[in-house]
Amino acid sequence: MKAGDAAVGQGRSGTAEISPGSVRRTKMSGARREERWAYVLLVMPAVLVYWAVMAFPAFFSVGLSLTNYNGGPLWSSMNPVKFVGLSNYVKMLRDPFFSISLKNNTYIILVSVFGQIPLGFILAYVLSRRLVGMRDFFQGMIYVPTVISTIVVGILWQSIFSPYGPFTEIMHKLNPAWENTLFTNPRTAMIPVLVVILWMYTGTYLIVFLANLQKIDPEVIEAAKIDGATEWRALRHIILPMLSGVIVTSAILAISGSLQSFSLIFAMTAGNPARRTSVLSLYMYDAAFRGAPDYGLANAISTFIVALSLALIALLKFVENRVGGREE
Amino acid sequence: MRRETSRLTRVLLYSILLTFTFMTLYPVFWLIVSSFKTTQEFQVNRLGLPRRWTCQNYPLAWKIGGFGHLFTNSIIYTVGSTAAVVLLSLSAGFAFAKIRSRATPFLHGSFVIGILLSVEAVLIPLFLMANAAGLTDTRLGILLPYIGMGMPKGIYLCTEYIKSIPDSLVESARIDGASYPKILASIIAPMAKPVATTLAILNVTGVWNEFMLVNVLTSKTSLKSLPIGILKFSGALSSDYGKQLAALVVGMLPMLIFYTIFRNQITKGVSAGAVKG
Repeated sequence: MKAGDAAVGQGRSGTAEISPGSVRRTKMSGARREERWAYVLLVMPAVLVYWAVMAFPAFFSVGLSLTNYNGGPLWSSMNPVKFVGLSNYVKMLRDPFFSISLKNNTYIILVSVFGQIPLGFILAYVLSRRLVGMRDFFQGMIYVPTVISTIVVGILWQSIFSPYGPFTEIMHKLNPAWENTLFTNPRTAMIPVLVVILWMYTGTYLIVFLANLQKIDPEVIEAAKIDGATEWRALRHIILPMLSGVIVTSAILAISGSLQSFSLIFAMTAGNPARRTSVLSLYMYDAAFRGAPDYGLANAISTFIVALSLALIALLKFVENRVGGREE
Repeated sequence: MRRETSRLTRVLLYSILLTFTFMTLYPVFWLIVSSFKTTQEFQVNRLGLPRRWTCQNYPLAWKIGGFGHLFTNSIIYTVGSTAAVVLLSLSAGFAFAKIRSRATPFLHGSFVIGILLSVEAVLIPLFLMANAAGLTDTRLGILLPYIGMGMPKGIYLCTEYIKSIPDSLVESARIDGASYPKILASIIAPMAKPVATTLAILNVTGVWNEFMLVNVLTSKTSLKSLPIGILKFSGALSSDYGKQLAALVVGMLPMLIFYTIFRNQITKGVSAGAVKG
């Protein structure tokens, strides 16, 4: 017990003085070799799996988007894969379904960044400042949708808004002449989707902001209020600047999450009517797996999705630096 | 004056909170109640309570949907990938945090960037690679991508957490002659239990609900997971409302139970998982 403690105490500086030089050198080089070997052993499995199924495919996708590869073996003399430059991207940009998908993705990003995040922030503030009652209950009610399978949520809400669902029944009681064309009219088909997205993911940001608000000393706010600040001014001038980093992180998550809205839309509308509720990921899926496969186009779309999310995040970082700079 | 505005704000706040509550509770209530109606009764009575409660939808949906298989597969994918993600992240995170190497910035960085990579970015190449490697329609072909997808967050969280464990603990164990794997197993892993729990919970919810990958990587019914089985009811069987709604309840319950048991850990995990890329 005592000896062990002494060894711990000497850990950093003690050993060098105790062991003679020559012994120490051979020992250290042996230890160094063992250290390297251990490093490789510990890191290798994770790196192998991750590079094989994530990193490599991401680059592979960019490569395939520049070819006319359309299934079958990659290297065959019968039907060699040809480099086609940017023609898949040109095809994508000319496709009317590309602009429809991009437009719908833009709506989703706007709802996420300017809907989910502000709502999540305000509700987290309200709950953490104890401005309302039944806080645990409300927190659960807002958060629980994110836990349930997206597919289940999608089908459930599709039923709710469908002609046989309760929404139609209730509208009929108010106005018997009302006809439910929500999902058949291309103009309105995105509305239920956006409502569900707003409801479903606000909980994530609520939780993120709640956790970060709890780190702020409540006395900071109390002191400001004693100095005559209103709740609103305290929020605006003390809390908001303190959480700006978290807000930017949330926005990054929201943007990359918005481009991943595949499952919900797949279950709610499958892109219909006439692919008017398609999003980029669904557009990619259709290019690869619906009808005749066009892997070149599909890979161009997936490369575009990655590039778009990186560009948006870079833009966000740029805005953050500008705004952050002005505050100082 | 201030009192008035604060009352107005209060009304506004409560109405937002109640809207969320209504949107969560009512669909679930409607779903559960409707799943106890026969399809014939559902056609004429869509809002009210069942006039005659029937449980027959459940066993029929279970049988038609092959839910026994689906549950088994979902459990295999979830437990298998989660165990692997936690194990691999802990060991690589330990090496990144405690063994000095010039390779660390590059290797660790490659994982952190991956936080921003979505399934969409790799779906089609993965499908083509699985075809080429003969891994389509195998469990391994589905498990490997799930493990890879969990790694970025896993590595990030574990490295950060293990960094906060004092170096002196590792050094003194080294002086006592312990090997690195031994130190990982006997010192680091027990101390990293909180981060391992967080990671496991994030991974379980992610994989259990995942749909796109397993949908693309397997066409065999015997390998499909729960979300795909449920979706089948809204396609081919969509006019059979009774069974469709019962299938939705069955699909919803596991995660609701998981949430009620691990509520606190889940909320902790979500806030820890919200990491910047």
